[in-house]
This record gives sequence, structure tokens and C-alpha cells, in this order.
Amino acid sequence: MQLLFLIETLFIFNGSLKEYSTRSVCVCFRAAMATAPYNYSYIFKYIIIGDMGVGKSCLLHQFTEKKFMADCPHTIGVEFGTRIMEVSGQKIKLQIWDTAGQERFRAVTRSYYRGAAGALMVYDITRRSTYNHLSSWLTDARNLTNPSTVIILIGNKADLEAQRDVTYEEAKQFAEENGLLFLEASAKTGENVEDAFLEAAKKIYQNIQDGSLDLNAAESGVQHKPSAPQGGRLTSEPQPQREGCGC
Amino acid sequence: MFFIISQVLPHSPSLSGRNHHAILEAAGPSHVAINAISANMDSFARGRTAILKKQPSHMEAAHFGDLGRSSVNYQVQETRSRLSKTVDQILRDNVAMPYFIQFMETHIAEHLVRFWLEAESFRSTTWSRVRAHSLNSVKHSTLAEPAASLESPDSPDSPNDPSRPLTLDQGDEEDTFSSQTSSRPHTPSPQDTNSHTGALIGHRNSPSSRTGTPVKGQSTSGLSDKLMKSIERDAVNIFTKYISPDAARPIPITEQIRNDIVAKICGEDGQVDPNCFVIAQSVVFSIIEEQHFSEFLRSHYFCKYQIEVLTSGSVFLADILFCESALFYFSEYMEKEDAMNVLQFWLAAENFQDQLAAKKGQYDGQEAQNDAMILYDKYFSLQATNPLGFGDSVRMEIESNICREGGPLPDCFNTPLRQAWTTMEKVYMPGFLSSNLYYKYLSDLINSVRVDEFTGGNANTTPEQGTKKAAVKILKNFDEAITVDIASLDPESLYQRPYAGRMTFGKVNELGQFIREAEPEPDVKKSKGSMFSQAMKKWVQGNSDEAQEEMAWKIAKMIVNDVMQQGHQGSPEVKATKVHLFLSLHS
Repeated sequence: MQLLFLIETLFIFNGSLKEYSTRSVCVCFRAAMATAPYNYSYIFKYIIIGDMGVGKSCLLHQFTEKKFMADCPHTIGVEFGTRIMEVSGQKIKLQIWDTAGQERFRAVTRSYYRGAAGALMVYDITRRSTYNHLSSWLTDARNLTNPSTVIILIGNKADLEAQRDVTYEEAKQFAEENGLLFLEASAKTGENVEDAFLEAAKKIYQNIQDGSLDLNAAESGVQHKPSAPQGGRLTSEPQPQREGCGC
Repeated sequence: MFFIISQVLPHSPSLSGRNHHAILEAAGPSHVAINAISANMDSFARGRTAILKKQPSHMEAAHFGDLGRSSVNYQVQETRSRLSKTVDQILRDNVAMPYFIQFMETHIAEHLVRFWLEAESFRSTTWSRVRAHSLNSVKHSTLAEPAASLESPDSPDSPNDPSRPLTLDQGDEEDTFSSQTSSRPHTPSPQDTNSHTGALIGHRNSPSSRTGTPVKGQSTSGLSDKLMKSIERDAVNIFTKYISPDAARPIPITEQIRNDIVAKICGEDGQVDPNCFVIAQSVVFSIIEEQHFSEFLRSHYFCKYQIEVLTSGSVFLADILFCESALFYFSEYMEKEDAMNVLQFWLAAENFQDQLAAKKGQYDGQEAQNDAMILYDKYFSLQATNPLGFGDSVRMEIESNICREGGPLPDCFNTPLRQAWTTMEKVYMPGFLSSNLYYKYLSDLINSVRVDEFTGGNANTTPEQGTKKAAVKILKNFDEAITVDIASLDPESLYQRPYAGRMTFGKVNELGQFIREAEPEPDVKKSKGSMFSQAMKKWVQGNSDEAQEEMAWKIAKMIVNDVMQQGHQGSPEVKATKVHLFLSLHS
């Protein structure tokens, strides 16, 4: 009876039929989790904000497709892309919403801020104006997202060292003053792109573990799979260690 | 065409209307009708209908009859989600209001909401009564005596009333009106308003002090007097409850506003201004909006409201697409179904149109055209990077909309938007609503309600009630199932009947679920098979009612076990089966 219940749980709480049919049925839940390629424990919602032309869409594209779009058109409204990465041994899917930077889309993109677990605030190191506008983007982000949302500042186009207009130090100081993570990256070369998303994910995951991110808050920006069955309420002890399954 | 003619010929003696009916009765986009109409129109239209016939079935054909010409304006009603609310929407929504008041009670601020509601209803009913009265007075002035004789008994009464406030000028306690005047002494200009009020009352009621004569003009003023008094009474009620400084829970408004309200209640012409509370209302509204509302949206009361909407049995696509948290889950679902493009297109085109419409005509046509071309290149053109399968007719329409002189209009993409909407609504949403993602969303909402209620509550009784309250809508039999007394060590003993023998219809398991043992229809072949294949079938079928119910019972089991685990924190005599169930859920 217990076994069959486990199987039903397996069927019901995992992915789509497509994934299922390719997987051999295994009574042990844990083994099934390990072999499934699309099995992730959490989904984090990210937003990417910043002035137009700083490279938000290119960052997203580099992260999800590992390619640099040389002449991508500007984003209309919003777009989203996803990718799965591993944080502290957990598979986490990132659902990343890339917003348009043009001022005219500001009003419509505001509605996508809510419920974001992480926010990437991007500026262009070769254009000072994009750095100066950061305070306005930060205000929006703070007002419209949760208090526990992780914000990371990204200085894009780090490969164009010759045209640098904003020093690393001053941006770092700005980030520290405002409690933001900070990285300089290049969507063109791929430098630090993965790290940008990863650092934010690590911080979010850490917040979940130590309790400062309430998974049960409405619009926490995190979907969690029922490996934490009390709806993700934080357990003070670590995840129960499962013995090796005998299948 | 021959077909229709051959149908028509036998009826040719009848009117041409009959032919018309024959064509209409062929109803939907049937071959007969299409042929008939295309035969009657010019070749261009025929080309269009031919394209309509070829349209892929998963994209809704343009509404038959308009041949895809008109842009159907579907946006107007469906831009709101019932799950995302603004302050104004909540204040006018009867379903959300109780949750909002409960929330405000925890903030000791519910008097703001009640004041707003009462003032709003006062305003609207007063206006409608005044209007009704003026209509009536027009009616009455042309009617005969019966109306007048009805009113005359009242007019002798009215002289009594005005006399009372006049004599109670000095602050007697009897009349509700006078309680207003009695509060006056604390305010800067008590005597002035007092006498002002008294004088006005006398002045206002004097016309009706003429008693008894059943003159038509008398009847109208009698009616008006009664109406005015009741309006005045209502206004005074609201004033004493919320605005007067002596009120139990006064709303925070300035003295100036308060005086303004007094002036409007005791108006120059003796009439209470129905809009007297509007300024105070807007003050309260902004307080609610700034100080309380965003917290309400994060509270479990709002979650409860959302749960109620989502389990009400009718969830609309608008509810999902315009609510960020639901959209989060829906996008995940669409990605799994490989249908992200439809959603992406809908989001992008919708945003594009919204921002154009917000400009109210003052936008750069060239810029708008460039934006629209980006969408065109991505989704519509013959070399599109993300083709969606829109038909040629739609593509041509979009081309002409974009290349319009002066740039595209805010309804440029209406047709493909409508098609994308319909596709999502008909093809993907039913699957989403019965998917485990959706149940995950619901159980997350339920869990967030539970946890919040636990943090305030204590020990054993609260968990039960919390669970009951939270899950009341989603699981029909939950109430009965959960009245198990957790405090007792062996709840099963309630259901054990050791002497029942084999003559039982069934038994109740530890969750209160009735497991039938008798065969109601022994002749019917059981097609169920083993539990394993049952599970497979269930998974494959997905959205049958039994699967849903089973899912609901699973959630119930999860919640019950969690609750029991909480109650049994210290006691080691937890039943082994329950522990196993719990651990299996943990894994």
C-alpha cells in the first residue's frame, strides 16, 4: 500500500507525461529524482531591469542559449527565458523575465516586478548615464518587489575596457551602500554571465534555508516542489538523509 | 453552388426570404454556406473565404460572417484579473470585502473601511432617493387627491420635530441631531454653528408647519420633508459614528474638513448635500492605499480570497494572465507544453498596445512602427524566427495595419491577439487548471494561509480550526473528516466495530474516508484492474473528476498528517502507519 502510494506521488508530483514515458518506473522516489533531467526542486523568478541598450536581452540570451546576439532588436514589453542550474546540490530552474528598457514601456513592465525572487539591475560600463539612472531603477525595484528580493547589480560590456566610463570601485561602493550584490560581466564574451545568475540564486537559496525568505508568503517568487511537503515551511533540521535505495 | 441551387429550386415558388433562411440555417462554416456566399461575392472576398477554410484548426477562424475584416475589440472587459486587486476594486467587491475587513481588524483600522462603505452607500442612495423623489413630485403634481390625502397625516407630525431641536438648542441629549450639537461646545465655534443649525431647522421645517390642508403642493413638500429628515438622520448617524470628535473611532481628518462636512449637512437650502462625505472619503481612501493595502496584498487574508476565487468553479483566463503569481505558474506550464511562443507573443503585443493606448494618440508613429515591425519579424513574417502559424489573412491585415500612414494604431494586433487568447483559453487553460502545477499553486496558497494562522494560534484547537477554515472550499467532505478528536490517542477506535463481522457496508479509515466493502452492483464488471494500472490510467487521463478528487484527498492527507504531526510533537505513540505516510511525503 505504501509502495503504491509512493508511485502515485511520483506520477502526480513530477513533470509531464513526456518525461515519464522515457523513464523507467522505479519504486524508489529518490532514484527517480536523480535520473530525471528536468527534475528541479525550485523555480525562482528573476527580472532583468535597466536602461535601454545596456544589454539585458543579450545577457539573457547568453545565459540561456550560450550565444551572443550581435544585433538583437530591442525588447517589446517583456520576454522570458528559462534555464536550470544547480545550487548547493539542488537543481533550480530560473524563470527570467527580461523587461524593455525604453521609458515608454516603463509603466507596463512595472507589473512584472511583483513576485520576483531575484532582480538583475544592469548598466553599461561604457555609458555613464546608464549608471546614473540606477537610483531610479533601484527605487522601482524596492517599491514593487518583496523586501526579501535579492538584487544584484551588473555592469555589462566589461569587454569594452577601452571605453570604460564607470570604474569598478565606485560601482562596488554603490552596491555596498544599497545592500546589493555586484559583478561586472560581458554578454559578448560570456564572462561572469553565469556567475551573475548563480550568485543571486545562491543568495536566494541561502535566504530560504535560514528563514529570511518566507516561501509561504504570497508572491515570494519561488515555486517549490514537495520535497518540503509542509508547503515549504522551513524545517529547522536539514533535509532528512535518505538511505540508498535498493532498486 | 449547384448544391445550394438544387436545394433552393423546389422551394422557388416561396419567398426569397426562405432562401435566405436556408442559407442561414446551414449555420456554421459549412461548405454549403461558404459556397453560397462566395458565389455571391466578388473574387477578392472569395479568396478570403478560401483562406478561412484552410486555416489551421487550432487557431480560431475569424468570426464567420465578417470574413476577418473587423477587429473585434475583446480587450475592454477582460483586462482585469479577479486575483489582482486595486484598492478601488476591493472596496467595491462583495466577495473580497469580508477578507479585507478581517485584515483591517487585525490592524485596528477597520473603522476606516466601514466609514468609507457607509459614506459611499449614503451618497449613492441619497442621490437615487432625491432623483426618485423629484420624479415622483413631477408625477404627483399632476395626480389627483389620493396622493395628497396620503401625505397630509404626516404634515401635522412635522411641526413637532422642528420644535424639538429648536428648544434643545442648549445641548439636550434626546435627539441624535442634538448629540451633534452637544458635541459642539468643544469645537472653536460652537455657538455659531449651534444657532445656525437651529435657525436653519426652523427655517427648513416651517413650510410644513402649516397643517392639514390637502393641497397638492402641500403633499410634495410633506414628502420632501420626510425624505429630507431621513437623509439627514443618515448623515448624522455617520457623522456621530466616525467624524464627531466624540465618536468611538473617529477617522483622522482635519478640523477644516469636519467643519466642511457640518456645513454640507446643514446646507443653506435646508438640504443635506449627498456629497458631503466625499472629501473625507478620499482622505480615508488614500490612508488605506498608502498604509495598509500593500500589506493586505501580502497577507493570508488576500490568499484566502484568492483561494475562494480559484475554487469557485469558474476561473477565467483573464484571472490567470493578469495576476503575476498565477502567471508565474502558467508560464511554467506553457513552457512544459512547448507553447511559450503563444504566451510570449500575447504578452509582447498586449504590452505594445497598452503603452500605445496610454499615450492617447500622442506618440511617435515611426517609433511605434519600428516596435511593431520587430513583432512582425519575430512572429508573422514568412521568415519569422518564432512563427506561430497565423494564416495569410491575418498576416496581410497586420501588414496593412503596420504600414498605415501615421504609424500603427493601438488596436493594430487585435486579431492575432484574440486568436492567441482563444488558443490559450481553449487549448491550454483547461489542461493547466487540472495540472499538478495548478494544484501546487492552490496548495501553496492554502499553506500560506495555514502558516499565518498558526503563528497567532496556540496548541491543539487552532490547528484544527485553521485547517478547517483554510480548506473549506476545496475539499467538500473535509469538515466531516477533520472532526476527529486529535487529542485522543487512538482515533481509530471510534470507527472500529469488532463485532460487525462480515456484514458491513464498509469502514472508515483513519482519515475519515469511507471505504466501501459491499458491492453495490455485483454484476457490473470491474474494469479497474490493479492499483498500478489504475495509477497509470489516472496519470494518462489526467483531468477526470476522480483524478481531481484523488488529488484533493492527497492534499487533505498531507495537511492532516502535518497537523497531526504538530499535535504529536512530544508524544511517541504516533501510529506507525502515519509516520510512514508522513516520511513518504517527505521523500
